Amino acid sequence: MIENIMNVITNNNLQCILALNNLTSVYDPEIGLNVVDLGLIYKIEFFDEEKIIKVDMTLTTQFCPMGESIVGDVTKMMNETFKDYSVQVNLVFEPPWNHKRISEEGKEFLNS
Amino acid sequence: MIAATGNIALQKTTSYKAVLPFYIYAAISFFFACVLLLTSTDVFNQHYFNPKTLALTHTLALGWGTMIILGASHQLVPVLVEGKLYSNVLAYISFLCAGIGIPLLVYGFYTFNMGWPAQTGGIAINMGVLFYIVNLTMSMQKSKSRNVPAVFILTATTWLLLTTLFGLTLVYNFNYPILKNASPGYLALHAHMGIVGWFLLLVLGVASRLIPLFLISKYTNNKLLWLVFACINMGLLGFISNEIFGESKLILPIFMILVFSGILLFILYCFNAYKQRIRRKIDEQMKVSLLSVFMMLLPIISIIDMLTFSLLNNAKNNIVLLYGFCIFFGWLTAIIFGMTFKTLPFIVWNKVYHKRASAGKTPSPKDLFNENIFRWMTILYLIGFVLFAPGLVILSGILLKTGAACLLLSSLLYCLNVYIVIMHKPKIV
Repeated sequence: MIENIMNVITNNNLQCILALNNLTSVYDPEIGLNVVDLGLIYKIEFFDEEKIIKVDMTLTTQFCPMGESIVGDVTKMMNETFKDYSVQVNLVFEPPWNHKRISEEGKEFLNS
Repeated sequence: MIAATGNIALQKTTSYKAVLPFYIYAAISFFFACVLLLTSTDVFNQHYFNPKTLALTHTLALGWGTMIILGASHQLVPVLVEGKLYSNVLAYISFLCAGIGIPLLVYGFYTFNMGWPAQTGGIAINMGVLFYIVNLTMSMQKSKSRNVPAVFILTATTWLLLTTLFGLTLVYNFNYPILKNASPGYLALHAHMGIVGWFLLLVLGVASRLIPLFLISKYTNNKLLWLVFACINMGLLGFISNEIFGESKLILPIFMILVFSGILLFILYCFNAYKQRIRRKIDEQMKVSLLSVFMMLLPIISIIDMLTFSLLNNAKNNIVLLYGFCIFFGWLTAIIFGMTFKTLPFIVWNKVYHKRASAGKTPSPKDLFNENIFRWMTILYLIGFVLFAPGLVILSGILLKTGAACLLLSSLLYCLNVYIVIMHKPKIV
């Protein structure tokens, strides 16, 4: 997971780590792996003055039937973790997700 | 539910209301087809052009295969073309037209009444296909992405329309001489447009995307897929030209080799995707789907037999039936079994749980169907297939009846599991 965390963190490192840590309890229901180890979270930005958190994330495929649910879970988790902030989750498909984004722990899980 | 902001609305998938009726219809059709199979075993020692065989074939090809593919593709097209389905309403209309047309056509065949039931049924089916092709084309036009699976699907759908239009012409040809020859003379042409053009291209196109996706495979090879596409289409076009203009039995093997090469190359593609998968544990549904890839070899073996007999001017009727059985009850049924319980639970899961993101941990899609029922369904299906196929070769009544009974039981379990998935009530852990 550590390499995925390092890629995602932009500013406010501690808050980002907390966010990512909590997002490990959000799972892709089909694969059974959390969104962080799966490499779906691209970027988390904190705008402390405006009290806004912007999350850029992707899905394993565009128009994934589980997409709405996964995004809903990520939004809910972020809202619960940072109650004073407004959360904006943006779905991005550039660069597209591929297997290289899965963390070592994720690969181990899928190998087991 | 806490709403997400941003561009999530753009990712909205097809409404489950447009998809589920197709799955329910297909499950009932499969059960009905198995009943027909069990009650028609006595006709398998007769010529394949007879009312019961025609009724059974069309129940399988249209009610079972086509309806489930239409349903699943309404859900999967957005994933494959990376764009929204153009219209849910067109999907409903498509379902209604095909849903009304199929029983009419099958009734027409069963009673061998090529008058209004078969004609009205044929027209309704064609309208359903037409609405589907409009929906698909518009969805693709709106999408920016042009990929190999999308081309497979669009080409397959064009073949479907050509098949059903030609089928309708054959129905009319019974009462009004439109074509040069009598309708039975065009059966091979009509059947292969449907089997190779529609089913084979469509299934390969969808599988080329879904198999690596579900296995989380590192393998991609678009060049190989284009080669598969070219081989199959060239083989089919050659076969059709030969049937219409030439009818030379000697060049027929060339077209067959082209189609078989396409199938073998696709098996190679699946094998590489399997070898380079990241997800090591394969679930039961994927195992059945992968088994169906190898089951594509069975019709090849029987058609080689058929061709050998045909070249010797001694075409064996039961080998022709075996060829059809291997396609519809073998390859096609196996892939539908596997993919139903890979796709249907997703659709129902979304219907039941997508608005419950904030309510707690939910079951995963695979928990929505009963794995034991799935296992027994697969076992009975395999026993049924293994008994029925040799039963056709040696024309053994007992093997045919026992095999058909196992397939009927398997269809009952399939329907039961579909019912369990569709009736799933929310459970929050």
